[in-house]
Amino acid sequence: MNNEAKLTKYVKAAGCAAKLGPGDLTEALGGLSCAHENVLVGMDTSDDASVYYLDEERALVQTVDIITPVVDDPFVYGQIAAANSLSDVFAMGGEVATAMNIVGFDGCHQPRSVLKEILAGGQNKVQECGGIIIGGHTIEAPEMTYGMSVTGFVHPKKIYRNNTPRIGDVLILTKPLGMGILTTAIKADMLENSVIEKVASILATLNHKASQIMRKYDVSACTDVTGFGLFGHASEMSFNQVTIAFEMKNIPILDEARALADMGIIPAGAYNNKSYLSSKVHAKVPHKDEIILYDAQTSGGLLIAVSQNDAPKLLKHLLDEGLTYSSIIAEILPLGEKTLLYM
Amino acid sequence: MKLDCSGLACPEPVLQTKKALEELPNDSVLEVTVSSLASKENVIRFAQNGGFDARAQDLEEGKSLITIVKGFTCKIVIDAKDEFLDKTLFLKSDKVGEGELGSKLIVGFLKSTLELPKLPRRIICVNQAVLLTTAEESAPIMEVLKALEAKGVEIYSCGVCLEFFGVSDKLKVGKIGNAFGTIEMLFGGEGTISL
Repeated sequence: MNNEAKLTKYVKAAGCAAKLGPGDLTEALGGLSCAHENVLVGMDTSDDASVYYLDEERALVQTVDIITPVVDDPFVYGQIAAANSLSDVFAMGGEVATAMNIVGFDGCHQPRSVLKEILAGGQNKVQECGGIIIGGHTIEAPEMTYGMSVTGFVHPKKIYRNNTPRIGDVLILTKPLGMGILTTAIKADMLENSVIEKVASILATLNHKASQIMRKYDVSACTDVTGFGLFGHASEMSFNQVTIAFEMKNIPILDEARALADMGIIPAGAYNNKSYLSSKVHAKVPHKDEIILYDAQTSGGLLIAVSQNDAPKLLKHLLDEGLTYSSIIAEILPLGEKTLLYM
Repeated sequence: MKLDCSGLACPEPVLQTKKALEELPNDSVLEVTVSSLASKENVIRFAQNGGFDARAQDLEEGKSLITIVKGFTCKIVIDAKDEFLDKTLFLKSDKVGEGELGSKLIVGFLKSTLELPKLPRRIICVNQAVLLTTAEESAPIMEVLKALEAKGVEIYSCGVCLEFFGVSDKLKVGKIGNAFGTIEMLFGGEGTISL
């Protein structure tokens, strides 16, 4: 990897660890409304993307996401930012049509060639899922940001929402946790190149394939795990209507992230998420890796609610297709005292 | 040593703490000031997983002071089968009271202690009490102290005191303690008995 540009050194926080906490965001968005007959999915739920009805066959999926650099290599940063932006469309069960670049370029610390590489990385990932980049906008910014506004299509009757899991379903997660911790360590120059490459390859993996696979099975809800961490997104999935019971030992966590967490290399975002969710979580047996459940993920995996009957088949299919971190991590139970519990 | 990490974002406070702990000599105390919950938890996590004793104290304006001890600390794990009382016997003299009687009493007292169903966890000798741990091999006290040590009682003699009496090279039982460890043991345990 080409780490000479030192992209991560000039930003305060890496990737999704830089986003606003869920509490702040809910408060800010509280007064906005988007009620309209054609809006199938809007801002009133915490879904990943919005969906706008076009006709009986098609609905428009729209989403936007930008992140600060999580790696120092510009091309790879572009790939990861794109994977992160595209992910919301895949979580809804849609296919990407077009994307527009949104860049805040730190021209103070970086030469123009870096911008070119970032955009090339983004294009590479949009092409991989069959989309096209049709424009964009760049401004000079004190901190580098890159992402995309993405437009896709989904069948109006086959939209996957994030808050509709059925009791008895199980949850499959398709990527390992710990990315917020690991990108913080990259920023601090604490990781060997081989580990950085492993992390970057996980981050740059599109959720496109996982999305296409899940659509073949009896799936009731789906979301992608990003800035609010596994438990933040699981909490949205529970919608305060069910309890989600996690099996700690089945949750995929990169060993490197565990070691760093033990050292105290944990971004503030994880603690923000934890404090926001503390009233909803019950630990049957306390676990030292607990904080990783709140770690803000950049370009995280899909969290899929699937019937118990189909779960083994879906899991095998994901593993066979190279999504090797996929694992059944939780079960949906009737609503108990707390909406999230782990053992 | 004091380290001010207020206002710094993760992982900077941890990295500075790590660097400071690496550079500090053993038996020193590092005080780190941080200004966010994340930094507080992270620094404590780092210190404790590194085997250091770390405690946090909340200050004003959202700041916390974390005290990290590098070196000897007294960690006591008490379980139901423990055969020790969590008590420290603090000896300041080689006698109980005055004169020849005093010398006999201390031997008698410690000998009787040996018969207790549960022994005190440790004995700390300061001032003239270090003359007990450095006595002649043939002295009656030596047999008693060695028996206590054999049963698992930790015996510490004050290093400064040994030097003061010029007997540093004559220690025959237990280990040399230091001021910080002594204070930790006196305040960290369930109780102290002084003769």
